[in-house]
Amino acid sequence: MDVNEAQLISRCQQGDQEALKEIFNQYHQKLYRIAYGVVRHREEALDIVQEVFIKLFRSIHQFKGKSRFYTYLYRMTMNTAIDHTRKMKKVPPLSMDEEEGFQLSDDADKRPDRILDHKELEAKVKWAMDQLSPDQKAAFIFREIEGLSYQEIAEAVGSSIGTVMSRLHYGRKKVQELLKDYVERGR
Amino acid sequence: MKRECSSISRLLEKYFDQEVTPEERSLVEGHLPDCSACRMALETMQNLKILIKNPVEEAVEKETFPWVWEKIERGIRQEEKPGLWESLWSWLDMISLRKKKILIPAVAAVVILILITAPLIYEKMSSYPVLSVVEYVESDTYNVMIYEREAPQVTVIWLFEGPEEEPLTS
Amino acid sequence: MRRKASFSVILILLLSPFLGGVAFAQVQVRVRVMEASNVGSGFDSSLRDLHDQLGSLFSFSSYRLLKDETVSLPLNHPVSLPIPPERSLELTFINQHRVTAEIRVKITRGGRDLLTTMVRLAPGRSVSIGGPNPKRGEGTIITALSRP
Repeated sequence: MDVNEAQLISRCQQGDQEALKEIFNQYHQKLYRIAYGVVRHREEALDIVQEVFIKLFRSIHQFKGKSRFYTYLYRMTMNTAIDHTRKMKKVPPLSMDEEEGFQLSDDADKRPDRILDHKELEAKVKWAMDQLSPDQKAAFIFREIEGLSYQEIAEAVGSSIGTVMSRLHYGRKKVQELLKDYVERGR
Repeated sequence: MKRECSSISRLLEKYFDQEVTPEERSLVEGHLPDCSACRMALETMQNLKILIKNPVEEAVEKETFPWVWEKIERGIRQEEKPGLWESLWSWLDMISLRKKKILIPAVAAVVILILITAPLIYEKMSSYPVLSVVEYVESDTYNVMIYEREAPQVTVIWLFEGPEEEPLTS
Repeated sequence: MRRKASFSVILILLLSPFLGGVAFAQVQVRVRVMEASNVGSGFDSSLRDLHDQLGSLFSFSSYRLLKDETVSLPLNHPVSLPIPPERSLELTFINQHRVTAEIRVKITRGGRDLLTTMVRLAPGRSVSIGGPNPKRGEGTIITALSRP
């Protein structure tokens, strides 16, 4: 942690909202990336980012500097995003006709764009990711989306590198299997 | 070849994640030219990464985060207000016993009065007009104007193609 | 301790009329899509309640109803329905305060966001979303959201 960041954290711990705003300016995009990676929905991801910074301001006095600040933030974001997913209990559709989480009116199947489009693929990706356990999902998203090293992931999730590698391996295997049509299509 | 492949395949993920030691890297890179199965496994991992990551990157790139900081500030302000219970109990603890003997029956009388009039108050408050119906509006495609009046109660969000366009108002 | 408990019970009884109105698991929203134009004249009878409102703001001579649907919005579950022309309307019930429901409204076309807004709807109150202005001889679409 550099001196500037340490000073920001200290000011924030004393209730300085301007310090929180500077932290927000530095990190909001990264946290949005993680949140969006989990929920795949713009407004929900924005809500999560909002919630994280409000929680951060409330609980930053608990941050003692034992881990890197960004891994502390990433863990908070991941936990908030996963909690949010549990509350929403969405079940993204396998096909538009079998949706549970989204309710369509009767003439939806008359839409001309029933071929695989961006939204449907996104829904399937999210569904596949939702089949992972929270630990596997966290490791997978931290690695594939945020590009954290095994060491950084271990710090963010509070586990050993070996555990992270195992979760990543089984998470990847599961998602690959669920999305094999799309993954193979990429060839 | 098969034996080597089984030991190399265990390193493939580490290699893909760039977490291998120099020696492990040499082993994998020495094996790949002769093994289509391992090359295909790497390609699958890459395709999966693109599938997972690209939509997220697109979303982050085009996101402008409107009003997010303002909502965070508002959320913090709302959290800073003391809860009703905390305020009530701290007030009750502070007042003297003699005052409590007077105050508590008085409060009980007020409570009973409110209990009787609460349904009437609630009904009246439910009919109060909403001061602002539209909390926020965002559009990257159009310019937007909000028309809001109280009599008659009307709220309209109107989209415009460009700034020079005039609204068709009466 | 006993005094605190009995005080709590009295307050709960006192607040019970209010508690009933605080949080609903879902809310109903009526979605009416109409074509407003200066071709012809007339106001669809199903839009009578909006007549004063729209008439006070706009000078269209004709309002023709294209779609009238009431949807149930469970809390935090988006509900999508197609609206003309080739758009999709997504409604999400976010929060309830007394009788007012906060609803997020998103209109998209071909996967592209056209508009996102958060509105507060109380029973009997409506919000209309319309535009852009029609070209000569054409109509424009107005979508009215209200709580029945």
